[in-house]
Amino acid sequence: MGDFVGNIMLGFGVALTPINLGFAFVGCLVGTLVGVLPGIGPVATVAMLLPLTFYLEPLSGLIMLAGIFYGAQYGGSTTAILVNMPGETSSVVTCIDGHQMARNGRAGAALTVAALGSFFAGTVATLLIALFSPPLARIGQSFGAPEYFSLMVLGLIAAVVLAHGSITKAVAMVLLGLLLGLVGTDGQTGGARFTFGAIILSDGIGFVPLAIGVFGLGEVIANLISPQHRRDLLTSKVSNMWLTRDEFRQSWPAVLRGTAIGSVLGVLPGGGATLSAFAGYVLEKKVARDPSRFGKGAIEGVAGPESANNAGAQTSFIPMLTLGIPGNAVMALMIGALTIHGIQPGPQVMTERPTLFWGMVASMWIGNLMLVVINLPLIGMWVQLLKVPYRMLYLAILLFCAIGVYTLNNNAFEVILTAVFGVLGYVLIRLECEPAPMLLGFILGPLMEENLRRAMRISSGDPMIFVERPISLGLLIAAGLLLLVVALPAIRGKREEVFKEG
Amino acid sequence: MKRLTLALLSALSLAVGGAAVAQDKYPSKPVKIVVPYAPGGATDITSRLFGEQLKNILGQQFVVENKAGAFGILGIEEMARARPDGYTLFVGNVSTNAITPILFQKKFSINFERDVVSVTRLAIYPSFLITTTSGMDVKTVKDLVDHAKKNPGKVRYSSAGVGSFPHYDMEVFTRRAGVDMNHIPNKTGAAGMINDLVVGDAQVAVLNSASSAAMIRAGKLRPIAVIAEQRLKEYPDVPTLAEAGYPGVGTLHWQSMFAPANTPKPVLDTIFNAIQQAAKVPALQEAFAKQLVSVRPSDTLAEAVTWHKNELATWRKITSEVKIDLTE
Repeated sequence: MGDFVGNIMLGFGVALTPINLGFAFVGCLVGTLVGVLPGIGPVATVAMLLPLTFYLEPLSGLIMLAGIFYGAQYGGSTTAILVNMPGETSSVVTCIDGHQMARNGRAGAALTVAALGSFFAGTVATLLIALFSPPLARIGQSFGAPEYFSLMVLGLIAAVVLAHGSITKAVAMVLLGLLLGLVGTDGQTGGARFTFGAIILSDGIGFVPLAIGVFGLGEVIANLISPQHRRDLLTSKVSNMWLTRDEFRQSWPAVLRGTAIGSVLGVLPGGGATLSAFAGYVLEKKVARDPSRFGKGAIEGVAGPESANNAGAQTSFIPMLTLGIPGNAVMALMIGALTIHGIQPGPQVMTERPTLFWGMVASMWIGNLMLVVINLPLIGMWVQLLKVPYRMLYLAILLFCAIGVYTLNNNAFEVILTAVFGVLGYVLIRLECEPAPMLLGFILGPLMEENLRRAMRISSGDPMIFVERPISLGLLIAAGLLLLVVALPAIRGKREEVFKEG
Repeated sequence: MKRLTLALLSALSLAVGGAAVAQDKYPSKPVKIVVPYAPGGATDITSRLFGEQLKNILGQQFVVENKAGAFGILGIEEMARARPDGYTLFVGNVSTNAITPILFQKKFSINFERDVVSVTRLAIYPSFLITTTSGMDVKTVKDLVDHAKKNPGKVRYSSAGVGSFPHYDMEVFTRRAGVDMNHIPNKTGAAGMINDLVVGDAQVAVLNSASSAAMIRAGKLRPIAVIAEQRLKEYPDVPTLAEAGYPGVGTLHWQSMFAPANTPKPVLDTIFNAIQQAAKVPALQEAFAKQLVSVRPSDTLAEAVTWHKNELATWRKITSEVKIDLTE
């Protein structure tokens, strides 16, 4: 405990210097701005600022980049809620209920709960990192291919629960996502799959073109085609920014649950932070007394996943600093910035570079606080955006999407791909198929396949490897139980309780 | 804002100085460096570090444009198709500019050897032949070979993907040593490979020396040989792979600058000389030394060309000896 206080003091000591506070502020502000513009992501921003960090103290540089990262996550949720446009993997689920809340005139409340929930989750996750970094790092290091495979099985079964329509359609969407995820070079043999000989497809389909196309553009097309009232819903009743008593009562337990699940999943190297928002949503829907509210603007559906993704983003710094495994592209850039200074991520980073590690931890909390301070007053302004006539707003949305997708890889083909997925998104809306399970299938499918085949190579083809390892076995049992929970109401003929308009 | 000012200034200088000046003096506007990777990786950072110095020396911005994908082909083709005026350059490495042109020759829509010219090598990265310390007690290359002989097919090696140079290096090594090992590719690259070794998915790999430094200090990984021209002064006890009995095995991982083939010789001279000058800047050398990298520009423009031709010839030989089946 003495250690803990000492470490935290050390951290705040270096993070609270005027210069580091300044970098945290600049980072958070820039991050929020780039996050709010749909598609214009933090990656391009951070890449442009990278040479600047060569001249900074490693800690100052890292604090600024981290600020951009959190800021973009906050900003991304704002666009997800207001215009149904996820810029990052983590804000996909925020679209589901957050945008519905905006349609019901509760955009202010959705943004407020996202900001406060994230702040709370960030605070708890920061404390967890400070208290339990070494054991948490060990959890990450016990995950080999079999464990990942079992985790993905669990994730895919959970994906079905994401949907609120028919279970058949949800399964179909997961499978469609799996198929789209197969496009590209096969990691185990190097062979090209479903590329139609096009070299441009050899790295597969990008997440951003798919997500922006299916969610964002699909929505734009649907709005333009459907009668006037669909759009007016958004603009007519923008009420109170603050949460009502009921909303507060519903959201705080969701924030707690989201924080818990996000903190745990974020520790897993690689996919952890991505999974946490999805897992947060599934959990909320499972524990809700009336799951039918989900998909129609349930505030828990915003509070849970938003807290989970922020907690996950925070704890994913553990695998980044101790294993060098980035949770996403921005973190990969941060590792690059560290390398320039000759700092290699590793298990001893905490003891070898205590000021860097603990300064970073302290600055996480400071950054989160700054974001709330920056964002709460802005919510009123963002909501005003909804009053812009849709015939003008949609042009801006399309423009920013095109720019954002292009700048991601400087690749015009991805812009075309986004347009194609926009049409797919519209078709799915007409067929009443949910895109969220598809995206989860798209993300998890390739990971599941890769780890299945790796595990089988490791065991020389013996499938017992999945049940002989305790963590893997535990995850498979959890997956089995979840499947049972999903299947039971259907068996009892009371399926509607879980799925029907669920 | 700074960029805008710069753009305005350069526009102004063009208007005042006239087009003649712009043609006479290279560079008179910002230069683009295409990098075939996403931002943050080693090749990206090398080009940004050199870009900073080139800006100081030549007085123009050198802007990195990341064009990742298709084993580097997308970036190479964009550069090769650009106007050959010296305002589009390219920084690639042994994978994108020696292995890809041979392994994926058919996938190019340009003729790599005709349309691309080597300007100068920039840097060389040492690699380790490295093993995990958990569940396997191997201290030397000989130990590893003995262990693999006793457990045929049971030792697993990690690589950065099928057809990557760490894959070829291990294939060539196992052939030379006469052992049978199991390949577990990991397309997420060095960080993923390190994780594979630490969690036990794999036990041995060829890995960038700097990337593995922290895990070596933590006692999780053990370098048993270094793939470099000589021992690293940071690891005086680790023999080179040649000293350990395997001369000619293992790839010297280089990064090098390229340009469209018809770029005028005077322009290439200007760039070449600026790189020579940049390579001597202490700040740049220090930044590379921290990553155990040696800054090694070519001696002359002509040497850069013959050196790259030799590299292509070497890889043509390796890829014809070690057939890796890339299912189409």
